[in-house]
This record gives sequence, structure tokens and C-alpha cells, in this order.
Amino acid sequence: MVLGTLAQRAMRRASFLKGYFLGNRGLGAWALALTATVQSGGTFMGFPSLVYSHGWVVAIWISSYMVVPLTAFALIGKRVARFSRRLGAITLPDLLRERFGSPRVGLAASLFILFFLTFNMVAQFKAGALIMKVAWPDTGVFALPRNVPGSLDPAYYLGLGIFAFTVVGYTVIGGFLGAVWTDLLQSLMMFVGVLVLLVFAVSAAGGTEEATRKAVEATGPEYAFAPGYSKDGRLFLPLGLAVSFFLIWSFTGTGQPSSMVRVMASRNTQTMRRSIFLLAFYNFLIYVPLIMICICGRALIPDLPQGKTDEIVPRLALKTTSGVPGGSLIAGLILAAPFGAVMSTVSSYLVVIASGLVRDVYQRFINPVAGERRLRVLSGVVLASVGLIAVLANLRPVDYLQAIIVFSGTGAASTFLMPVVLALYWRRATAAGCMAGMVAGAGTVLLLMIAGWLGPDPLIGQATKFRPYFLLGLDPFPWGLAASLAAGVGVSLATRPPEPARVSDLFER
Amino acid sequence: MGAPSGRPVLERSAREARLALGVWAAAFVYTIVYCAPNAYGRTAESLTFILGFPDWVFWGILAPWSTCVAISAAFAFFTMEDEDLGPDRDDAPPGGGA
Repeated sequence: MVLGTLAQRAMRRASFLKGYFLGNRGLGAWALALTATVQSGGTFMGFPSLVYSHGWVVAIWISSYMVVPLTAFALIGKRVARFSRRLGAITLPDLLRERFGSPRVGLAASLFILFFLTFNMVAQFKAGALIMKVAWPDTGVFALPRNVPGSLDPAYYLGLGIFAFTVVGYTVIGGFLGAVWTDLLQSLMMFVGVLVLLVFAVSAAGGTEEATRKAVEATGPEYAFAPGYSKDGRLFLPLGLAVSFFLIWSFTGTGQPSSMVRVMASRNTQTMRRSIFLLAFYNFLIYVPLIMICICGRALIPDLPQGKTDEIVPRLALKTTSGVPGGSLIAGLILAAPFGAVMSTVSSYLVVIASGLVRDVYQRFINPVAGERRLRVLSGVVLASVGLIAVLANLRPVDYLQAIIVFSGTGAASTFLMPVVLALYWRRATAAGCMAGMVAGAGTVLLLMIAGWLGPDPLIGQATKFRPYFLLGLDPFPWGLAASLAAGVGVSLATRPPEPARVSDLFER
Repeated sequence: MGAPSGRPVLERSAREARLALGVWAAAFVYTIVYCAPNAYGRTAESLTFILGFPDWVFWGILAPWSTCVAISAAFAFFTMEDEDLGPDRDDAPPGGGA
């Protein structure tokens, strides 16, 4: 909240929309590096749950984070930042609309963003509530009844309320900069929290080799190899999915509207170069330790039931620090990591969704002459309303946290990555081609998700009802990207080239 | 690298994008080609450890990841060029900017 208030003061220097939704294009290297890619509730809840459940194979599943700093910033970073300045764009739909001179393209982009990000945000609210629930002190006046059969879980709902109030509060007050600054602070807390937990978990388990041997004894040899251990014998990561996930993590970050907005907000290209360097080290020092921590978690807490594996990091933090002098303080620091990750994701998605509704729908289509005061009030109302909807959607907690996050990420990236790449690098790309690329990418992913939902369980991937149809053993993402590229190029070539006056300044200087 | 080389802006960006894609492709091919025979279909007896990691994790994931960290640093400081992103259209004086 304090950071949100400080951010509000900082953004008063410029026009409301550019300040509130883009931080006046002033992001530095640390802020850009640590907030532009996808550390989220999935990083500290869903991903650890997968390591705990399936073993070392999850190292392959996450391995493409090794190239994310390059794909996130070097692939389209400079072009996005340049186009957004030249076109006066402060959102992704803004950029596409101005690049192609097509309000329809902008509106379609806004609607796709709203659809995919809402899924992800609802899942993130659950993650936030779960961490609060696990961390809630069960002593004295704070004691709450837990897991009451046939009734609401008071700790979960209290956690949901505190989480929603905090994150929506500082985002309403501080807008984009409030979200970014709290992201930055939380990313640093995540870093410290993970490294502290690594020390506690590895020493408690007697090292990762010993932890692996114990886990293998409790499960089976598959825990140390690919395609991974599963209680029911399913293949968690056959080679086709390993290929798919290398594509997924390296390009979904690049194709996320929230990531593109942060690149638009970067101060200059020097900022991007430094961000590549910082993010390379940060990813390595977050993900490799998290895998080690959760392998140790399997040895230290071997019997978490199926529905509780999302809670391995907070439970491990509490277990390994109990009895240590100052243990609750250390546990609090560690727990701040997953809580920070969830808060930072939610705040950035809130800003993107609110900017889509206020800038791309209200200001463009309903009231183009709306004054600054009205836009300010409306932005706050939209943010609070979206938060309220996410809370209501979580009154009955959503299942399949990581599966929803993967779906939302791949869906959004399949929709936007190829059309944006074509818009930035190919002057022949047309509005119809961009629209076709978005529809084909989103449509392919959605069709394969529906086919998977309705079809029989192929016994690969995560054990979840929220699963896609794995065409030729691959995740929908590669198919979505291929369809989007083919449609974008094909339809652009089949339609009239853009007016030279519209594109010459963007491509010739 | 920092200072621009004088090439057109689009060409510079496209070259850097191609290099990034090249690194991505090399990491992808190495990781998958190494892990396919070394991580899949193994028996418990064949399990060995390097610095606490299963052998295939060390050579198939940690080694390329460390290399990519080094390449990313080199890319950031010696390959990627700085450029003027231009004025913000809304801030540009009348007649200036795009």
C-alpha cells in the first residue's frame, strides 16, 4: 500500500492514462528484468507441486527458462518499445490498432486479453488464499477451525479476503507503477526466500542425493528419471511434451500482453540489455534451487495427499524452521516469496485487464472525450470489480491451478505472439492477417482444449480434467503458433497491402 | 556493445532476433537430444550423481543452462546494440515524431 501511494505520486507528473497504465515509460533494468516475465503463483505453488509429485523430470519441463531472457527481450523487445512510442500506444491492443489502422483489430485483441487473463487471475487468487491459509497462526486469538467437513474453511476465506484487499488496494492506488514497484520488492523477497529455504531444506534432508534416494525408495526409480513418477502410472512428460514445454516457457513469456506492456514501458534499450543479464542469473537462481527444495520436500514430507501438493513450499518453510531460533521470522520471510509471486502476477494482470477495458473499450468506443477525472474513477472501479469477480469465482476454490495457468499462458501467447512478430518485422502484414492470426491461434488452442476435456484421458501430462488433446503427442501451443503464423501470413498475402504512408515511418527509419 | 553500428534500425533488430532464436534452437536441440537417451528409459541401478544431481540433470539441464547464462550476458554486453527508440508520439512537438 505504501508503494502504491508512492507510485501514485510519481505518476502525477504526466497524463493520467500513460502514467497509470504505463508508468510514463520509465522502467529501469531491475524493474523490467524482475517483473516482465512470468514468475507467478505457478512458480511457487503449481511448479513445486509438480516437482514434489513427479520428481527430477520437472527439470526438463522447466528447462527452457534458460533462454527466456533472450526470447523475452531480444526477439521483439526493441521493436515493441519503438513502435509503442511512435504510435503513442500504451497497451497491446493500442499498438495493433495503430499499426494496422483498424479499431476492429484493437477490440478483438482486448477481448482475447480479457478472456485469457481472467482464467489465469482466478487461479492466482486461489494460490494467494492458500498461502495465507497455510501460514495463518493457529494459536490464541488467531485460532480458526480447519477443514470443517461440509462447511467453509474459515482460514481459506480469510486468506482470500486479505489477499484480495491488499493486492487490489495497492493496484488501485498505484496503477502500473504500484504493481511494478511491489513486483520488484517481492521479486527480491522471492530470491532471498528461495535461497534461505534451499539452505534449510537441503541440510534437513541430508543433501539432494540423499533426498533423491529416499524419494525413490518411497515412490519408484521413475522419480529420478523421465518421463517421471506418477501414482497411477501415467506418463507425466513423454518426449513430445518435453519438446512442447521447451517451446511453451521460452515463448509464452514473450507473447504475454502483460510482458509486452512492460517492455513498452522500458526507459531505453540499455535497460533491456541490462535486463537480459539480470534475468539470466535470476532465473537460474530461482528455478534450480526450487527443484532441489521440492526434491528435499518429498523426502522430508513424504505423504502429502493429492490435493495438498500445491502447499509443499509453505509447509516445508514451516517444517524446516520450526525449533530454529527466530524460526517463525525466517518462515515468514520464506512465505513472502510465494505470496509476493502471486501478488505481483495478479497486480500486473489487473492493470492489463483494466487498461483494456478503460483505454481500449471505454475510451475508444464509448466515450472518446472522457476527462481525466472520469477515467481515473473508472479505472479504480474496474480494478475493484475485476478483483471482486476473482474473489467470487474462488468462493468455491478452482481446481487444477497449474493446468489453468498453462492454458492461459499458452492461449494468450498463441493468440498474440505471431501477429505481433508479423506486425513488427513485416511491412506487408495487414489488419486482416493480424485478425486471422489471432483467431487461428486462439481457436486452435481452444479447440484442442475442448477436445481434451471431452475425450478420454490419454494418461500423459498432468492428472487433471482440465487437459488438452495432445495432437501427435504435442501440447496445443506449437499447433496454435503454427496455425497463427500460417493464417497471419496467408491472409496478409491474400489482402491488399497496407498504405505505404502508414508503414514507411515504422519500417524505413 | 551499446553504440549503434549505423545499420538500419530494422536490420539491427532483426539480426539480434535471429541470434536469439539461434541460441534458443541450440539450447533446444542440445537439451532434447541429450535428455532423450539419458533421462528416458533408465533403470534404478544406472543412477549416478554429480554434485547431488542425477547425472542426466547435471549434463542435460544444468550445463546448458549455465552456458545460456554466460551467452545471455555476452549478448547483453557485446552483441545487442543501443538505439534511439524515438519520441513518444503524444509528447512530440507538433510536426515532430511519427
